[in-house]
Amino acid sequence: MIEVKHVTKKYGNFIAVDDINFTINNDEVVGFLGPNGAGKSTTMNMITGYIEPTNGKIIVNDYDVSKDPKKVKRQIGYMPESTPLYNDLTVREFVNYMADLKYVKRKEKKEKVDKVLQDVGLTSVQKKLIRNLSRGYKQRVSMAGALIGDPKVLILDEPTVGLDPKQITEIRDLIRKLGKNHTVILSSHILSEVSQICERVIIINKGKVLAVDTPSNLEEKFEDENRIFVTVEDEQNKINKIAKKIKNLKSIEFIKDKNDGTKQYELVANKSTDLRKEIFNLFPKNDINILELKKSEITLEDAFLKLISQKETEAEEKKKKEEEKKAKREEELNKMSKKDRKEAIKQDKKDIKQKEKEEFNKHWEENRKREKEEKERIKEVKKKIKKGGKK
Amino acid sequence: MWAIVKKEFKSYFLSPIGYIYIGVFLLTCSIFFYLDIFVKLSTDFPYMFRSAVTILTFIVPLITMRMFSEERKNGTEQLLLTSPRSITQVVLGKFIAAALVVLVSVLLTLIYFGILSYFGEPQLSKSLIAILGFALLSIAYVSFGMFASSLTENQVVSAVITIAVFVLLWFLPSFSSIFIDFSLMEAFFESFYLGTISIKNLVLLVSFTALFVVFTIMVLQRRKSVK
Repeated sequence: MIEVKHVTKKYGNFIAVDDINFTINNDEVVGFLGPNGAGKSTTMNMITGYIEPTNGKIIVNDYDVSKDPKKVKRQIGYMPESTPLYNDLTVREFVNYMADLKYVKRKEKKEKVDKVLQDVGLTSVQKKLIRNLSRGYKQRVSMAGALIGDPKVLILDEPTVGLDPKQITEIRDLIRKLGKNHTVILSSHILSEVSQICERVIIINKGKVLAVDTPSNLEEKFEDENRIFVTVEDEQNKINKIAKKIKNLKSIEFIKDKNDGTKQYELVANKSTDLRKEIFNLFPKNDINILELKKSEITLEDAFLKLISQKETEAEEKKKKEEEKKAKREEELNKMSKKDRKEAIKQDKKDIKQKEKEEFNKHWEENRKREKEEKERIKEVKKKIKKGGKK
Repeated sequence: MWAIVKKEFKSYFLSPIGYIYIGVFLLTCSIFFYLDIFVKLSTDFPYMFRSAVTILTFIVPLITMRMFSEERKNGTEQLLLTSPRSITQVVLGKFIAAALVVLVSVLLTLIYFGILSYFGEPQLSKSLIAILGFALLSIAYVSFGMFASSLTENQVVSAVITIAVFVLLWFLPSFSSIFIDFSLMEAFFESFYLGTISIKNLVLLVSFTALFVVFTIMVLQRRKSVK
């Protein structure tokens, strides 16, 4: 189990990851989704212990990453973004080296390396120098490096970037297979991939977690309209008139003329009503032949884009409101006499400071509370262990 | 740790750098051996190192400049630092591998001792002490070179830093006698070169080495929270 608790990473004033929280259960395949620069890689790097978080805690299978890094790293297989490799080693030498680094026993090494090479399909090129491999193979070598040593947790940063379609399906199948007895975290900005492989999706944007849910739930959540595409043979162009007879129809829109006597339209209704039955009944009666009838389903892609734009407009509105407030206040200040203005400005500054103080104190207390809870939890666990020992 | 030593040592000889280092070192040693000993019909073996010491300034950066800079630039550092090896293990592993390359080159100077003892009778103990001192000096240089390499991801910059500091260490004693006690080269010339081991100079060389190994570990540990 991986628990990420109130993790923040700051670079100077820039906040790369902002107070994120989530839990990942054992043997679960989870996808990190987000546009470039959202903080996916940073979060992954923090889980692997490569980067230290500025604030917060990451617990992997009961070990704290910053306190017990060795024990955590033993359980993690990490495939970094952009597949860094030692170019002057051969494939086999590289996997051997990674096995050595991960304390694979010497007796089992040969067998395990063979198995990993076979799993990722590298047996045929194992004696080639990594420098001479194509991008797809390099990706697999990186994957082999992550898999060796049987880690319980796999963290894959964009595992299918730059592969050809055949390779992509192969890697996806492999990940799906691994997901049965491994905890897998993978990041991607290809949405269809995530919805295919992952049981849950964590959507990140600008360092914040926007949603944690299953792909199908996300799709449902953002389905606010029922869209239907029909292709009809409509010689007399009556469709607009007839469509108006349908109850609950919101709008009808002409999409394109297919130049073979058929035309495509889009009909929109509320989320709760399904128009298909009615269309199917009504149109043929009025000499409109239906050639195709299709319900459009909202994809994860739409959900993703909607979610991101939603949050962004929210943030923008907030900003706008604040700016308006400021402008108003300034106007007020301008109307005042000089003396009053000075005092008012002073008061404003005081207020801001007071607010900052309050916020800081609140944060501080929260942190303390959290630490206390954590300590108590540890105490209880220890007590339980002691009791068990006595029995 | 030994896994890292093994791989690093091997990769010095997978790329031409290991060969270039040893080749250039032996070439210059041969020149000095000929000019300082052979031409002068001397049997004073340590005499050879008098000039050979200067060449260390320019060739040690060859093997140290890539130690951490290259890994950082290629991103392979990520593989090392996310593996269950501690930073101390990584640094020591790399340091020992580089030190081994240097040791190999220093031990190869025994060839010259062999040639010399064919023609004359050089003093064995004196020569061995000189070799020991020279090895300690070069390892101290490696330690600093490694530190410089951990500071930057640009190999050239790390080499330039290393050479600049070595040149400073070389010439500072000529400006003021205050620096004589801190100069590594002086430490070599004061005792090992003359065939004696002085505790003061031994401690200076070894502690300099240890200091910069520790500094390298600190740099890498610090970068974890800054990166």
